[in-house]
Amino acid sequence: MTTSARNRSPLLRLLFAAEAVRAAIWPQRMRPATGWAFLLPAVLLVAILVAGMAYMVDASFHELDRSTFRLTEEYSLTNYETVLERPFYSTIIIRTVLAAVIVTAITLVLAFPYAYAMVRTKRAATRKLLLIGLFLPFFIGQVVRAYGWLIVLGQEGLLNSTLTWMGLGTVKLIYTYPGVLIGLVQYMLPFAVLMLAPAVTAVPEEVELASDSLGAGWFATLWHVLLPMTKPGLVAAGVVVFTLTITDYAMPEIMGGGTSDFIASAIYDGYFSTDEQGLSSALAVLLVLGATTVVGVVFALVGVGTLGYSARRLR
Amino acid sequence: MTKTTLTGTRRFLLPRRRLLAGAGALGASATIGGSALLSRLARAQDVEKPEEIIVRAWGGVWVESLDAGVSQPFTAATGIAVRHDLTEDNEIRPRIWSAVDQGRVPPIHVNWDTTTNATKSALRGVTEDLSDLANLEGLLPAAQPAGFDSYPIVNTYSYVYVLAYREEAFPEGPPTSWNVMLEERFKGRVALYDDGIGFHPVAVILGGGTIDDIPDNMEPGWDWLRRLKAQEPLLGEDPDFTTWFQNGEIDVACTIISNAREAKMNGIPVAWTVPQEGAKVDTDGLWIPKGLPENELYWAKEYVNFALSPAAMETWCNGLGLPPTRPGLTPPEDLAGDPAYPTTQEDFARLISVPTPVLVEHEADWFAKFNEIMQG
Repeated sequence: MTTSARNRSPLLRLLFAAEAVRAAIWPQRMRPATGWAFLLPAVLLVAILVAGMAYMVDASFHELDRSTFRLTEEYSLTNYETVLERPFYSTIIIRTVLAAVIVTAITLVLAFPYAYAMVRTKRAATRKLLLIGLFLPFFIGQVVRAYGWLIVLGQEGLLNSTLTWMGLGTVKLIYTYPGVLIGLVQYMLPFAVLMLAPAVTAVPEEVELASDSLGAGWFATLWHVLLPMTKPGLVAAGVVVFTLTITDYAMPEIMGGGTSDFIASAIYDGYFSTDEQGLSSALAVLLVLGATTVVGVVFALVGVGTLGYSARRLR
Repeated sequence: MTKTTLTGTRRFLLPRRRLLAGAGALGASATIGGSALLSRLARAQDVEKPEEIIVRAWGGVWVESLDAGVSQPFTAATGIAVRHDLTEDNEIRPRIWSAVDQGRVPPIHVNWDTTTNATKSALRGVTEDLSDLANLEGLLPAAQPAGFDSYPIVNTYSYVYVLAYREEAFPEGPPTSWNVMLEERFKGRVALYDDGIGFHPVAVILGGGTIDDIPDNMEPGWDWLRRLKAQEPLLGEDPDFTTWFQNGEIDVACTIISNAREAKMNGIPVAWTVPQEGAKVDTDGLWIPKGLPENELYWAKEYVNFALSPAAMETWCNGLGLPPTRPGLTPPEDLAGDPAYPTTQEDFARLISVPTPVLVEHEADWFAKFNEIMQG
């Protein structure tokens, strides 16, 4: 270290020391690889996931030997045949996919006005209230929220007590498929709003004013201006909500009361209850393939540009 | 290597001679158990004590009873703390299996498990042999798992899946048949376990079959369950039954007697009965996973041995309201003479027992079929 460096402030000396360490670990000649180095953690993470998936794919081709409770050595398609043959699995696959579609549609319909109001409101108090409403659910886990719904929707719950008080009788929502959907929509709503808000923010308010001044009503502005311009946010939110719903476990378990299992429930049961690791792996592989295909088709139809990456930039 | 064999379905038989001999020998066995224990503990001074023994257990009344009857006295006798791991039995099993397969130390020392699930672990070869435990002496034959010459598991008590009911719903007296679940007035107010555990063999009988039909002809049971589905039953786990009874959401349920008894003790107006068709009886047990350091294995075995001693077993099982596999212990006052607390051959004759090897081989398929019916 030079004399002038020693005379510098402690902070500067610390920075010089850090730079010296950096130079020792990552010399100048390796600079072209710096970008890849930053990618390394993400690559490692994906590699671990891929390794796990590879293990699962391998396990899916081995049947359980119930005399030893280990997977057989031989490769076979038995687990996939079982998934296709048992009506139970086709039922839960249809139920799960249908739920993912319904929940995604309802969530986007509800999330858009929320995000719009949150972004466009002029009143700071209203924005704060909406932000609190958005972030508060993130502090409450999914299981707790599901139990909250049990209290609200239960036979003796808040909803039925109110309906009874009003002389309207009772409705059974808890431990039903609609009950599961209600719980899922409530769970997914903040995710969707969070992804839609930047998309709405990116639409200049002047564009709406221009549309208005040119004689378009609010619906025409929504249909021809806002929705097309917020498409990246809508697609991103839709993809996130769809994939989270199709893989959800807790809400169907708690809100369904054992009557509305999703694919994840069957996977869990196979791994932990009946020790059918091979069968569960086959289900997991099919789930990943199915969800990936849907997302791939969506991107193929609307383009990756919806996520903010133009084809030119990608090239 | 142990090997299991399938045997036919049978009623749970308690050998009378063994029962009488066991009852008569209780005092002696208590003494032997106590003195042998002290002797073993004295010898144990040479074996390094671990800081704690980790025992997997179920929560609520289950762990409280184990703590009062076994864990606390064990700690008092040895100075070794006992930590109860309340991880679900189904979730700890794969962890133990992978730990043993990978040569790692398993996450627990002692697993309190259902005999069916424990047998799966034994068949996989991940359980230690407990045949050298001194307090196996005097236990009923049911303490030894079916299909094994050794003791990879020690069955510690039996339990009955009773018909639990809300007393207000039956002012005329307890229901006499499981068929009460099909009555129109109980639509939406019936509950079973979410995989139908404890009910499959009963359903076969309700559907017009016999216990000899199990496992080859379960169709009568599936037919009966299809009729039950129209009643929109609630399907859940142990804690759900208590919640549902507490909230007045169900009137009848098939659940383990301990859960119904705990609910009753907590002031929930619940009673239980063994209907005329019978009720399924099963067993739980203790086992030790392979892969423990030698000294920890020694003390884990001491823990299991301690749990099998008459005094520990009596307190533990009375807390649960379940008959232990050691004969002659004093039953809890509120359960004396209760058919759901079987102690005599006549009591067991009213119950339905499916041999563990049959359950191990077929139960997963029954769960799948049950789900197919209830969620189809």
